[in-house]
Amino acid sequence: MFSFFTNPDKKRQALLEKVENEILKDYLSTPFPDLKLPASEVEFLALDFETTGLDASKEAILSIGSTLIKNGKIKLSENSHHFIQVNREIPPESVVIHKITDDRAMTGEHLHDVLALLLEKMKGRVLLVHYDKIERNFFNTACKEIYGDTPPLLIVDTLAIAQKRQDKRPQGFSPNSLRLFNLRADYGLPRYNAHSALEDAIATAELFLAQMANGDGLERVRLKDILSK
Amino acid sequence: MEIEQLEIREYLETCSPLDKLSAKTLDEIVKTLEVTYLRRGKPLLTPGDENQSLYLIRTGALELYDTEGNIAAQLSEGDWAGHRSTMLSGIVTRKVMAIEDSLLYIIAAPVFKKLLKEEEGIREYFSERKHERLRSAIKTISNNERSSLISTRVSELSHATPLIVESNTTIREAANRMTNEHVSALLVINSGETNIQGIITDREFCTKVVAKGLNLEDSVDTIMTRNLITMPSTATASQALLTMARNNIRHIPVLENNIIKSMVTAADIIRQQSNNAVYLINEIHRAKSVEELTSLSKQLAPTLVNLVNSGLNADDTAHSISSIGESIAKRLLRMAEDKLGPPPVPYAFIIAGSQARNEQTAHSDQDNALILSDDYVEEKHDEYFLALAKFVSDGLDACGYIYCPGDVMATNKKWRQPFSTWLAYFKKWIDEPEPKPLMYASIFFDLRCIHGEQQLLEALQTKVYKRTKKSDLFINLMVDNALHYRPPLGLFRHFVLEKTGAEQKALNMKKRGVVPIIDLARVYALKAGSHVINTQERLDEAAIAGVLSQEGRADLKDAFEFISTVRLKHQAMQIENGKIADNHVPPEELSSLERRHLKDSFEIVSTLQTAMERLS
Repeated sequence: MFSFFTNPDKKRQALLEKVENEILKDYLSTPFPDLKLPASEVEFLALDFETTGLDASKEAILSIGSTLIKNGKIKLSENSHHFIQVNREIPPESVVIHKITDDRAMTGEHLHDVLALLLEKMKGRVLLVHYDKIERNFFNTACKEIYGDTPPLLIVDTLAIAQKRQDKRPQGFSPNSLRLFNLRADYGLPRYNAHSALEDAIATAELFLAQMANGDGLERVRLKDILSK
Repeated sequence: MEIEQLEIREYLETCSPLDKLSAKTLDEIVKTLEVTYLRRGKPLLTPGDENQSLYLIRTGALELYDTEGNIAAQLSEGDWAGHRSTMLSGIVTRKVMAIEDSLLYIIAAPVFKKLLKEEEGIREYFSERKHERLRSAIKTISNNERSSLISTRVSELSHATPLIVESNTTIREAANRMTNEHVSALLVINSGETNIQGIITDREFCTKVVAKGLNLEDSVDTIMTRNLITMPSTATASQALLTMARNNIRHIPVLENNIIKSMVTAADIIRQQSNNAVYLINEIHRAKSVEELTSLSKQLAPTLVNLVNSGLNADDTAHSISSIGESIAKRLLRMAEDKLGPPPVPYAFIIAGSQARNEQTAHSDQDNALILSDDYVEEKHDEYFLALAKFVSDGLDACGYIYCPGDVMATNKKWRQPFSTWLAYFKKWIDEPEPKPLMYASIFFDLRCIHGEQQLLEALQTKVYKRTKKSDLFINLMVDNALHYRPPLGLFRHFVLEKTGAEQKALNMKKRGVVPIIDLARVYALKAGSHVINTQERLDEAAIAGVLSQEGRADLKDAFEFISTVRLKHQAMQIENGKIADNHVPPEELSSLERRHLKDSFEIVSTLQTAMERLS
């Protein structure tokens, strides 16, 4: 049961009547997929942000990578990878992780251009991320800043799926085991170079397919069963 | 987008046959690639369904069935599926299912078809025509740039510290030292210094001393070459050879940390390149004692390694190795005759099996026999021939050709008999074939005389072949014998895949690899009435006589060459690792491409075995 405010499609329609910005309007004018649909019929936009830190109110997005899952297949033809211009110093400890230097970040694209492209890609689709706090918070902050509103999202979180499965185990779990890298290893997926936004988006998409194949199967799972709350 | 940095692209770059594509073509593939995940037990391709995808296994494993529903292959990382249906009608004919959770990369039909059209390497790899694929593989092996000259460093070739003399040494003294020390070059320094001033080679004595009539008491610095050409020890043998050719020189001092450590000569390089089998055989013929032969025989294994690493084909390698064994036996026979005196009656010393066929590899026992002239009288002559057989057999054993476990040796009285007895043996084998005699028959159809009266063997063979050609019963039993060993379906990770399932073990490349082809060739040769014994020659003659199709001949020869290559490479690797060479190849030792070509080879052998089975 969804209340008025938590039902994303109702929220979408409500906001659509209110907003002025054309880009946001365009995004909101496309309905979300029916939550009762089997996951195999839903298009997922696997997404990853590399950021200067964890706090969305203080830190910046450095790069955005995404790919598409359609009919249960990852379409590398839909890959996209953007570096964002950041006009401030990047903390050295984060450079170690994402390998994006100040010089690289200076030459990136403007966030509002990339965000517009992202919203275009998100239309009618469900976001697929690993650990939804980062992408959700940074996305909301960016939209608030640029459009003055935060549009509703449908998100599936591979970490939450894994956590739910591990919670069922009597021995519990260690937080470390929920990292993308370790979860992939559990399913026999290959080691990828971690921490490029695009590589992580693909890695998340593959993990999702493995999780679904090892559960009830993409055809039998309904979107609402796996949606992140 | 930085496609080139994607891990998926890096992986594709390592997969046959994509590894042959240009970076640009590979980028095009990555841009349209799809990824899917298949749970263990789920079907990937179902007969009757449409398929427009070429699958590459990234992780996991698939099982492929034939049209009758039997397991035809198991596929793992780096293997492909779906190419058959995509290339042909687009309709799946053979079932494929996941036997492990599998991450699969998908190349769409239009992209795949464009690759097939534009890239020869892709076309060859996915060719349905096994023999074409195998032939191109063999061509690649023998054209392999891994020539010993390129892979060998001059430091491995050059010998110990070069001889150094002071510049005031006389020409005569220098010549004497070179003669005494068996070297063809000297380095010259100034008294009390360490800097090399020049080099004198044997050529200076010819072009300067003799041609110009110099005084032998002059000092060497009047004839030395001053502009010394040197090379670092890391340079390759082929670089050294080029430098020699360009500068018309035959000696190059080798530097290590800018100090001359050694000298590499043209002769060193030639010795490395030309199979030193020739050199070894020459030494064997000059050996004066069994001890000397024993010590020379220790070079057989390194020679095999050399031949294999130089990229020589399997046929020539086995021929060289067989020639070495033959030389040792011949030398032992001469020594025996020197020791025992001339033979009381004419005889033929015959060798059997792989050595006779010139198909010997590293691991070998001895198979030999004596055909004596019918003038032989046991009471009077056998003492001599037993002694001769024993001398040779013991000598061969000492040289690493161990005693035959089946006792097929001239020391066994049964195989040390006059002509008429041999003829009676063959008559019995042919007219009243039984299992054990049949085994002998297959050994004794591969015979060669290496010493003594050649005519004794030839006369025997002429009579024998007349008889076999007429005996359908015998040929049919030889056919059964030839179908005894069957190749496996293929290899999968560390398993040998049999019709009955997968087994974790090494593959016996002799019994399951070359023997089925050798046995087939022997039967073809019998049917053709051919007297040759080398497997490849038998196949050629069988095709000329029409008992084997031209296509069958070419396919079997390729399969034989490929399987033999894998076997030889395995043995060379074992020798290099200080192990004793054997025929057991663990599947994990082979690359995915080698497995694929082996599978093709096995299929060829199976097809011809089946054809022979149906005919008999």
